[in-house]
Amino acid sequence: MKLRLLVQLGWRNLWRHKRRNGILLGGITFAVASVVLANSFIRGMQVQMADNAVDLMNGHVKILAPGYLDDPGIAQSFEVAQDWQPDALDGITPDMVAGWASRVRVPAVIMSERETRGIQLVGIDPASENISFVGKLAVEGEGLADAADRRVIVGAGLAEQIETLVGRRIVLITQGADGRNREAGYRVAGIYRTDSSSLEKIFVFTGRDTVQNLLETNVVTELSVRVTEERFGPPLLQRLANVFSGLDVMTWQELDPTAAAMTAIIDVAILVYFFIMMGALSFGLVNSLVTAVMERTREMGMMRAIGMRPRSVLLQVVLESTLIMGAGIAGGVLLGVLVYLPIADGVDLAAFDEALSTFGLSNVLVPQLIAQDVILVVVLSLILGFVASASPAVRCMKMGPLEAMRR
Amino acid sequence: MSEEVVQCQGVTRVYADDAVPVHALRGVDFAVHKGDWVSLAGPSGSGKSTLLHIIGGLDRPNDGSVSVDGEDLGPLSEAQLSDLRLRKIGFVFQAYNLIPVLTAVENVEFIMQLQGVGASERRDRALEILDRLGLDDIGDRRPGELSGGQQQRVAVARAVVTDPVLLLADEPSANLDTATTKELLELLRNINENHGVTIVTATHDPMVMGYAKRPVNLRDGAIESDAGATAPSPDA
Repeated sequence: MKLRLLVQLGWRNLWRHKRRNGILLGGITFAVASVVLANSFIRGMQVQMADNAVDLMNGHVKILAPGYLDDPGIAQSFEVAQDWQPDALDGITPDMVAGWASRVRVPAVIMSERETRGIQLVGIDPASENISFVGKLAVEGEGLADAADRRVIVGAGLAEQIETLVGRRIVLITQGADGRNREAGYRVAGIYRTDSSSLEKIFVFTGRDTVQNLLETNVVTELSVRVTEERFGPPLLQRLANVFSGLDVMTWQELDPTAAAMTAIIDVAILVYFFIMMGALSFGLVNSLVTAVMERTREMGMMRAIGMRPRSVLLQVVLESTLIMGAGIAGGVLLGVLVYLPIADGVDLAAFDEALSTFGLSNVLVPQLIAQDVILVVVLSLILGFVASASPAVRCMKMGPLEAMRR
Repeated sequence: MSEEVVQCQGVTRVYADDAVPVHALRGVDFAVHKGDWVSLAGPSGSGKSTLLHIIGGLDRPNDGSVSVDGEDLGPLSEAQLSDLRLRKIGFVFQAYNLIPVLTAVENVEFIMQLQGVGASERRDRALEILDRLGLDDIGDRRPGELSGGQQQRVAVARAVVTDPVLLLADEPSANLDTATTKELLELLRNINENHGVTIVTATHDPMVMGYAKRPVNLRDGAIESDAGATAPSPDA
């Protein structure tokens, strides 16, 4: 009953100074909307960085031979049974696994009739590569048909460097496990394009069996597994570590520590941005509340004199702050969502291509508005409202009724 | 001997905020009996408002004791004093009497809301008292839409709607013209005589003193004259 009275008083008091409170409400709405939107972009960057790191043939979990990361070559390899599948592992169900792919990745030299370049030769099974960026490549010409395909696809950047075209022949030279060089000629089936020019210059793809034939072996150098949700990564890692004991079973975070660090920093960045925006706003809120309390000191003294408890006066000031904060938060979230909806499919940032690729980001940034972030903003904003109102509320509570009425 | 609503014994109040201490009250012994209308009068600085505030639990004496309706105010905390004022005392002040964002009837209901009276009973009692005081046509107006006299009458309605044992009025006529003051005083007389509400006013206004049953004059923090002074109660 008393709370209802205080809410009623608080609500009506907010309407006493329409312009002042309107400006304050507008400020809170704008700040919350901008935090919600900024969070969606920051979160989008984080998701994209993580996705790109996983897409970059890492998967969520990758199995490598010990020493491969230091000396990536066919000497650091292992065998995988043709019918091996991760979802047959104890505790891993098919709905947890998005896919897996085994590859032979070795350093090589590519030669055209004009130029020579060092590259990473990757033997793949195209049917398995829906778990990496390779499965999503835009290819001019033709893609690889299967693991036995003897043609190659090269990046547009590399094709330009070595001055080759679709249909031309190139020569690949790489070193076998015995230390002897192997070389063979291949036809360029297609030229792929990505958002990152550096990728285009490094990776050359051909069929996995083709590379194994070239190197006269049946081993692979890596096995990537992608899960459907990030939370399935740890249990899978555990199972794979048991099955592939003696090999390195690593997460994408271990394989790409820079991307992992960036995504971790982003969690902090979201909080920092919130406190910068809302912290600045809280000064306005405190100022407005102090003014409101000072203007009504006599009135509050009178209410104390006729029997209102000091605690109720404190509660009233806090409620007024909460009401305006609550209205601003609701408006801000609504505004943020309304602005987010038209750009939910992504924002083209091609103008910043070079800077974005440095951070492992593509040209199209897809914002991610997730409930957890919105709830965080709502809860933190309400807490901030409480904190901001504490000073004027306590000041008001501590003042005796007579002292207040004499002001 | 009639029942004592207020009992003050040796009440002393010294304001020591400034370099020179100011003795607002010097050991005042004073009692108010049920059904009294006491008018505390005296020049500025005589201590009448200080005594009224101490009786109402808005200020505390440096020495001496005050009890209202048998309850000693000395040991009470601020929250307990608030509760006592809420339950036993009605207040009418010189100004800033009403809450600007509430209508007249809501202002009257305010104290009952604090007391936790149910909505329908609250509204009925508020409308009844406004009707009784001839204010039934202004119930839905906010204070800003009322004249000074109407605001004071609404304040009186709010002060008596919960049947307090004591009504304290501090300079209730200070902002009113003569005709409106007369209306207000007739209203207080009606409440005092017909409803038995004990009233203590602090005033400069001779008209208010004229309506009171018992004028008490203060000077320099002491009672100079008390028209209705009686011997202290044997149990006091």
